[in-house]
Amino acid sequence: MKQLFILIGILYTCLDIQAQMPNDAIYMPKGTVCAGTMYTNSSWKEYWENTLKRENLNMGMHTTQSVMIMPSIGITGRFNIILGLPYVWTKTSAGNLMGQKGLQDLSVWLKVKAIDAKGFSINGLLGASLPASKYMPDFLPMSIGLQCRTVSGRILANYTHPRTGFYFTGHATYTWRSNIFIDRNAYQANDRVYNTNEVGVPNATDMGIRVGILKPKWQTEVFAERFTCVSGDNIRRNDMPFPTNNMQATTVGWYGKFQPKNIGINARISHVTNGLNVGQSTSYMAGVLYLFNVTKNK
Amino acid sequence: MKNSLKFLQYTILFAILLLVVTSCDKTIEEPLRLGYTPTFVDDKAGSWKTYILTSSNEINVLAPSNITSPEYVAELATLKGLATNLNQEQKEAVVYWGAGAVYRWNEIARELAARYNIPPASNADGKYPIPDAANPLADPKFPFANPPYTARALAYLSVAQYDALVSAWNYKYKYKRAAPSKNDVTIQVALPVSALPTYPSEDAVVAAASVNVLKAMFPGEVPYLEAKMKEHLAARKWAGMNVLSDLTAGSELGSAVAATVMGRAKTDGMSASNNQVATAAMIENVKKMGLSKTWESQEVPIRPPMLPTYGNLTTWNFDRATLIKIRPVAPPALDSEKFKKDLAELEQIHKRQTREQARIANLWSDGVGSYTPPGHWYTRAANASHDAKYSEVRMARTLAIMGTAVMDAGIACWDTKSYYYFPRPQQFGLKTSIGLPNFPSYTSGHSTFSAAAATVLGYIFPERATEFDALALEVSNSRVYGLIHFRFDCEIGLEHGRKIGEFAISRAKSDGSGL
Repeated sequence: MKQLFILIGILYTCLDIQAQMPNDAIYMPKGTVCAGTMYTNSSWKEYWENTLKRENLNMGMHTTQSVMIMPSIGITGRFNIILGLPYVWTKTSAGNLMGQKGLQDLSVWLKVKAIDAKGFSINGLLGASLPASKYMPDFLPMSIGLQCRTVSGRILANYTHPRTGFYFTGHATYTWRSNIFIDRNAYQANDRVYNTNEVGVPNATDMGIRVGILKPKWQTEVFAERFTCVSGDNIRRNDMPFPTNNMQATTVGWYGKFQPKNIGINARISHVTNGLNVGQSTSYMAGVLYLFNVTKNK
Repeated sequence: MKNSLKFLQYTILFAILLLVVTSCDKTIEEPLRLGYTPTFVDDKAGSWKTYILTSSNEINVLAPSNITSPEYVAELATLKGLATNLNQEQKEAVVYWGAGAVYRWNEIARELAARYNIPPASNADGKYPIPDAANPLADPKFPFANPPYTARALAYLSVAQYDALVSAWNYKYKYKRAAPSKNDVTIQVALPVSALPTYPSEDAVVAAASVNVLKAMFPGEVPYLEAKMKEHLAARKWAGMNVLSDLTAGSELGSAVAATVMGRAKTDGMSASNNQVATAAMIENVKKMGLSKTWESQEVPIRPPMLPTYGNLTTWNFDRATLIKIRPVAPPALDSEKFKKDLAELEQIHKRQTREQARIANLWSDGVGSYTPPGHWYTRAANASHDAKYSEVRMARTLAIMGTAVMDAGIACWDTKSYYYFPRPQQFGLKTSIGLPNFPSYTSGHSTFSAAAATVLGYIFPERATEFDALALEVSNSRVYGLIHFRFDCEIGLEHGRKIGEFAISRAKSDGSGL
């Protein structure tokens, strides 16, 4: 009887647990895991070739889809680990470029709440990613990724009004990206030919602001993000993109989550408003979240 | 429990930091090519057979001043001053140019080819503007350095370098002016000095010949090319290798040879190589031969085929009658077993392309933005010549023999493509992992270029013949793996290319080099 009581207690606390992302100030309690599975569909018809916004009739609509599993693990209430592994596939609606598919990059984020006072928190995140398969990185825009190993440092500040759940988040990231090796033994970048298969992929920064309401069972927010490579070259006139390109994008969007019980759902819509060497994509994401406890009940 | 978690936390953080620190070197390592003393100075090269010059005496080079003359002594004194206290930039220039004049100018030409290898974008009316030589930096840039264009540009470059060097060798051994550092032992040299006489300078000859050919081939790059040449000549002085009169005589000779060589270029038919009007007759002819489905551009808007009359250009190593005689037989009929079998092979790859097939297709694709398949073979040939420590004239000979064969391969292959006007696999529902060239399928240009190049290189480097043949076969296969050619396009292209290479070899065997 006592055990049953404890079990009910756990279920009850679970309902207060929030599924979390590397861009929020939400933490899983110790010993709990939220396994998210998300489907994303991102497509563009127009892209920025350097600063020229254009379409390409030999591609039509370019679509990238992915299914990602993303477990968030509560090591302690102030230290979480978030893992992610997407399977990605690409296609175009016109032309003759072959779609590519495969496991992309395995990522891990360590998330630590460094300061926490009166609804205000400062969080430090350290991320890393590794390619999970040998996909081709230089067949852009069909490639599913860039084959970089990355390490990211992110600082995230959040204020959440305790009673209303109204919150404001700001975050900034620096991502170090490794050089990559391509199949070709020479390539052109930065207006010259490199006689090697090693390619320098520029490091990148991103920042974002998010405003929303976080309630025990639901969350809604709007956000704006800015992604910028710190260096890199531009797509040449009428040429294809290349991993050395200085890609930049400003994205606005909405994110929401509804999790009345252990099982919940989340969704995101976003749109690129401005960019350089990237497609003007519109993305939809929908996911299923499942929360469970892994530690033994005391 | 809490402590062990903390420990885990710190261990992971530490491991990641370690990864950042140890692997954040982002310098791109490229193979370093250094100067060397040639294994053979090739002192008899002044009598080797030239391509365009009637002989190595055709352009006169005046005798240099005597080494005891006040002018020469003054030049040595100036050189001594220039060759000391070099700054970092000068030292780097010395090392860069020290790798070899032919080597570097070929590399520069390949880089230009890559930078100009972009098909024009369509305009608002759905038309493709034609690059304009009089306005080379406008959009679209002139030239569109596609494979046929690049094959030709590099062939003229190599022929001009070779003819200029054979002439230079003639005068070097006629006048026998020893290296400055041999006439004044106090001159510091930064590069190996061989027994080769230095008047006229082989570096200046190559630089001037190259710049004059490349200015015509890439008219938007005149300031760039002139700056390169200026640096090259200066580097020879900084290295203590040439006095001013060596360089001046070399530049004049090189320019004069290039002018003669470009005389052939002006009349080789290139200006008529994009005759789109001729395609109607080509299609009509092939329909008469029974082809029910002819090549059609798969681009939107429809792009006219790349240089449909390039096949009419003047060849180097055989005549027109031979070109027609060795033209490949007709491709298999669309309802034949052979065609069905080769289409089925592509369909299989389309369904399940392996990563290895994709790698090979990508490695050799040499498509838009690259120095093209001819450029790829020049890279291999120049590196092989450098590895073998060839003299400038022997390296130029290698590249000229291969280069003329590669341009002949381009001409003969384009003639075949226009003659049979055969459809691409994409007209049978296949996609590609590398990008689709905009001209008929049969025969494969990559295969023809590669077999011609590999056959020549196998003759010049017999110990590496198997390796070059294997590479040519891989290039050929790469077009099947990339799904843009039927296997018969590639097999017949290889055969055709080998024959074309043989013509270049038979000329080389009788060029007086005894090599």
